[in-house]
Amino acid sequence: MSFKRLDAEDFVVSSDSITSTLWSTDSPTITEFYTSSVQQAGSSGDFYLSVYQTSSTETTAQVQFDIAYADVGGSGSTAYNSAVPANTPSKSTYGQYRALILEDENASFYFGTGNNVITGSNFWVISIERARYKESLFPGSLNLTLSGSGLIQLTDNSKDVSVNTFLGTSRVYQLVSGSNGSAIAGGGYVANSGSYGLVFPELGTILLNPHAINQSIGVTADRTVGLANGTNNSTLFTAINKGESFTLNSQETITSDYVFIRARNSEFNYTENPTFISGSNGEIIYTDFINNPQTYITTVGMYNDSNELVAVAKLSRPLVKDFTKEALVRVKLDF
Amino acid sequence: MGYLNNQVVTVDAILTKKGRELLAKNDGSFRITQFSLADDEIDYTLYNPTHPSGSAFYGEAIDNLPLLEAFPDESQIMKYKLATLPRGTAKLPVLDLGYSAITLKQGASLAITPQTLNYLGNAQTFETSGYSATVSDVRLFSTFTGVGINTDAANAANLSATTTLGTNVSKTVIGTQINLRATTVNTLFGSNTQISTTITVVGLDSGARLTIPVTITQTN
Repeated sequence: MSFKRLDAEDFVVSSDSITSTLWSTDSPTITEFYTSSVQQAGSSGDFYLSVYQTSSTETTAQVQFDIAYADVGGSGSTAYNSAVPANTPSKSTYGQYRALILEDENASFYFGTGNNVITGSNFWVISIERARYKESLFPGSLNLTLSGSGLIQLTDNSKDVSVNTFLGTSRVYQLVSGSNGSAIAGGGYVANSGSYGLVFPELGTILLNPHAINQSIGVTADRTVGLANGTNNSTLFTAINKGESFTLNSQETITSDYVFIRARNSEFNYTENPTFISGSNGEIIYTDFINNPQTYITTVGMYNDSNELVAVAKLSRPLVKDFTKEALVRVKLDF
Repeated sequence: MGYLNNQVVTVDAILTKKGRELLAKNDGSFRITQFSLADDEIDYTLYNPTHPSGSAFYGEAIDNLPLLEAFPDESQIMKYKLATLPRGTAKLPVLDLGYSAITLKQGASLAITPQTLNYLGNAQTFETSGYSATVSDVRLFSTFTGVGINTDAANAANLSATTTLGTNVSKTVIGTQINLRATTVNTLFGSNTQISTTITVVGLDSGARLTIPVTITQTN
């Protein structure tokens, strides 16, 4: 026999949470930020500003995140058509995130909790590239430094809350002053302006509250009607660029299928390898091998019921097998 | 194709080309139900039972051999399967297909009836579980079926249809007799008058394996 049936206990399915660095630099923190004048001047520049880890003309340049600005009334950007002045990219962006997160066209965003809450009629959006955050942002790893009249370090409050909060179907944390998932003493909010924003790990999205940021470090979102598109995006970019530190990790769940391959002492001790035999009649090459055969396992083949080879595993070095040895090989298949 | 780091024992697992195809079909055919072990890359002539330093050193030329990474092409791996045979076996099972190579004209048919030599004390026998036959490029045959075995596995293998567009895909069937009919499709030949592939036959009880070349010659 050369095939052996696998039993139910030979299979184990395991889901493991894997965290890793998020940025293309393979470092938890990026300190340099670049934009592309081509992207900025293009039609997408009306809506968002792409931020790279290196000069956008470099071959290794990859978008790390995008910055957008949203305003419920359409202020802070230029109308698509002067006949309908309220319809602007900032209004479209606001509606986009309202539909995505709040799932109700009549609902509003609120920054903060308890007695310190402000309605988010405008906000900045940092949207992390999907390829960077994989499945979700890793709560507790966010440290974003903004620079204006001073410096402020922002983080999510995931380590301060014991029960997750949801907006619509999206898990949300407050963006607070602090580090590594914990607010500074006092809660990390800004008096009468609520929190600094909201963090949605599964959406790879961070909303920033301009009122709190303005009050804290004087970085202002300009709500002038008809303002040139992209102006507010550049304002936040400047604050991030001068802050010189954006730390964030990704998180994903890898589902692995473990298959345990068990070779008993009496099994798999002979081989069809042509060098194991001499001549064409199948005589074993060494007389020692007749009663004490020794084989070397190098490859594990996994088959379906139709004897089709669907997966294969190679050992890094040969594994000796004879009538006195049993082998157990754990094969991990990731999906 | 790189070498695996043999300073630590690891297992490098991948899906084969066939596995990816079955996974994409999403019809349940990708279910791993059995395994086999192989010793591809091992040259037993390097084993030295007269080593002057003693038996602990007989296998020194093989023990630390760095192995290559796995190949995704199922016809290039698991070539030499390990077999479970009674202790004291002096002769290993050998397959006899009756052909060392096959040449067929377009549209011609052939039936292969494998036999196993030196198995379970018989000089020549038909294996109870039958034989699996794998053709590397199924496009070369309009018929490639196995008959004579009525197990669920054999029926599943023989019923599975393989539809390919533009690339070769292997097909495995199970039976005591393998029926072939060469393709009549001219476009496969291109500017050539012959096309070729291989058929690998494996005894499902003994593990004995034999690969022979198959050539189809154009008639039109």
